This record gives sequence, structure tokens and C-alpha cells, in this order.
Amino acid sequence: MAGHSDSSSSEKKSSEAMNDLPIFSAENMQNNMKVIYYSRTFMSIIGGVIAGILGFTSLMGFVFYFLVMAITSFGLIAKAKFSVHSYFDSWNRIILDGFMGGLMSFVLFWTFAYDIVHIF
Amino acid sequence: MAEDLVLDTAIRDWVLIPLSVVMVLIGILRYFVSKLMRSFQVPDHKIVKEGQVIVRARNLRAAANFIPPKSFRSRRVYFSNEENGLLFVPKGQAQNAQAQMFSDPNMAMDMMKKNLSMIIPQTLTFAWVNFFFSGFVAAKIPFPLTQRFRSMLQNGIDLSTVDVSYVSSRSWYFLNLFGLRGLFSLILGEENATDDTQRMMQMSGFGFDPSKSLSAEKDGLDIVQHEWALPKFEHRAEAVLKKLVS
Repeated sequence: MAGHSDSSSSEKKSSEAMNDLPIFSAENMQNNMKVIYYSRTFMSIIGGVIAGILGFTSLMGFVFYFLVMAITSFGLIAKAKFSVHSYFDSWNRIILDGFMGGLMSFVLFWTFAYDIVHIF
Repeated sequence: MAEDLVLDTAIRDWVLIPLSVVMVLIGILRYFVSKLMRSFQVPDHKIVKEGQVIVRARNLRAAANFIPPKSFRSRRVYFSNEENGLLFVPKGQAQNAQAQMFSDPNMAMDMMKKNLSMIIPQTLTFAWVNFFFSGFVAAKIPFPLTQRFRSMLQNGIDLSTVDVSYVSSRSWYFLNLFGLRGLFSLILGEENATDDTQRMMQMSGFGFDPSKSLSAEKDGLDIVQHEWALPKFEHRAEAVLKKLVS
């Protein structure tokens, strides 16, 4: 699903101190970013519904959110066959990107499910 | 939990769900309306040409190390040559004034249309929510907040002893407003807002953008130190082959 972007060497093989330039196909990079964003949004929505149904409150709920994000990150890394550098330009992208964006959706669906199941 | 209010099922049926559904539908409606109303601007061919030149120069800068030094230099001269180089912009160009005149009616109208299409539904929905759904507890948010949020979240409720977690429908509206953005981006393909801003950035090459970005590209190109990568590739190929053989 993630597009494979071209990348020449990222390790220094020669004894000179110059790095080879990694080439990234911008279009594929963008596509990969989009995939991460969609996955995170989807998982945060589902996670919100689950947290609401299970009746998590306050701290437990946020811990659950971080847990869901971590599972998403792990799933993405596994899908990239653990060679993150051939799909993205840095580790931070796949781990941290879209973290906060999913938070609002998570809270919305968490509140929704919690109210429907527990309060009403 | 000290007081665990039990709320009427009717609230859930007639407030929470309809409000969310209405917001989702309004978002979809706005997306389609903005698609329909998008007036297709015929791009000025001069602007497009300049844009393409910039893209070419940028590619040259990015991939400079993959071509031999002499060809890089000849390309660079082609771009930044003083007399007829593509990136060289004479100082007192009349382009600015003309482009400003051009950009004023069209772009201003476009931007206004976009802003309106975002603001009006929000305002209308907010007014609707306030009118119909005020004065009662609508939902309970699962996490506790401090007392300071009380005035913000519990607007229609006039009891001061109710737990801050019980919020009015106005805060449910705001919660929906922020939370549904993610949902929209999933169901509508690309999110409405970012699509607009991207297009605005593309089309806003009028005015001072061309001359400034041209000279910026020229400077960038002048700065590049060329270092041909081919010898290193030979080393690398040798290393890889050696590893294979041994």
C-alpha cells in the first residue's frame, strides 16, 4: 500500500566524509504521508468508540489513546517491513506524525460512545 | 463519582445524534457546493511559464550532483545569465502593477467566496444550536476538567453545583466541529480546507510572487556547489561487488 520511494545509499560506505544524496520521490513521500494520516484518523475513531463502550474515564482514556497510537505506529512499521528509511525520510514521521490530529476525533467519538452506553 | 446523573433518553435521540448527523451532512454539502462554485480561472500563460521555469531550476538544484560539472555549469549559465537568462528579472518591471490589478478582482472574489462558504454554515449552525438546544445538560465528557472551564462549557445551565463534566449542547457542537475534520478527510478524499489552500497557493502566483521567487531561485542556483557523485558511485559499486564475491 505504501509507495516505495527511490533511495540511494543512506549508509556511508566510502572513507570520505560526504554522504550520498538520498533521493526521494516527492510524490511517493506525499502518498506515504497520506496513508499514515488516514490510518491514524481511522484508528483514533475506532479507539474512541472502544474506549467509550468500555467505560474508560479520564486518565485511563488518554492512556488508551496513546496505546492505540502506539499500535498504529507499530502496524505501520511492520507494514514497511521494518526498513523505515526506504519509505520515509526520518523516524519521526512514522511515529509522531498525526498524533495530535487524531486526538480531537478520539475525544469526540469517546464522548459519544461513552454517553450513549453509560449515561443514557 | 459523587452524582451520577441519569439523563433522559430523549436527549440522546433528539440532540446528540441529530446534531452530529446535521454537521456531517453540512460538511458534505459544503464540499460539493464549493466544488461546483469553483470558477475555473484560465491561467495566464506567462505566469504558468514562469512557474515551470522555477520548477526546472529547482530540479536542477536538487539533482545537481548527478550530472557532470560542465553540463551543470552550462545549465546554470542558461538560467542565470545576465542578458537573456530565464531567471533574471530586470529591476523596474511593470509586471507588478499589472499583476496586482489582475489579481484584485478575481482572486479577491475567490477568497471571499471561500471564506464565506466556510463561515456561513458554521454561523448558521451555531445559531440554530443556541436557539433550540440551550438550557439543559446534553452530554457528559469522560474526563474531569477544572472549574475554570465551567463558564465555557456549561453555558445554558444555571446550576453551579453540577459537575463540570456535564456539558451543554454548545460544547457538543464545538467538539463535533473539531472532531469531524478527521472524519471528513476520510470520507471526502482530501479535506476541504487543505484542498482550497493548496489551490490558492498555486493560483496566487500573481503579483509579487514571480519576481521574488525567480530571484530566490537564481540565488539558490548560484550558491550550489557542484560535486559530481559519479566517482563515489563507482566506489560504492566496487564495495558492493566485493561483498558479493567474497
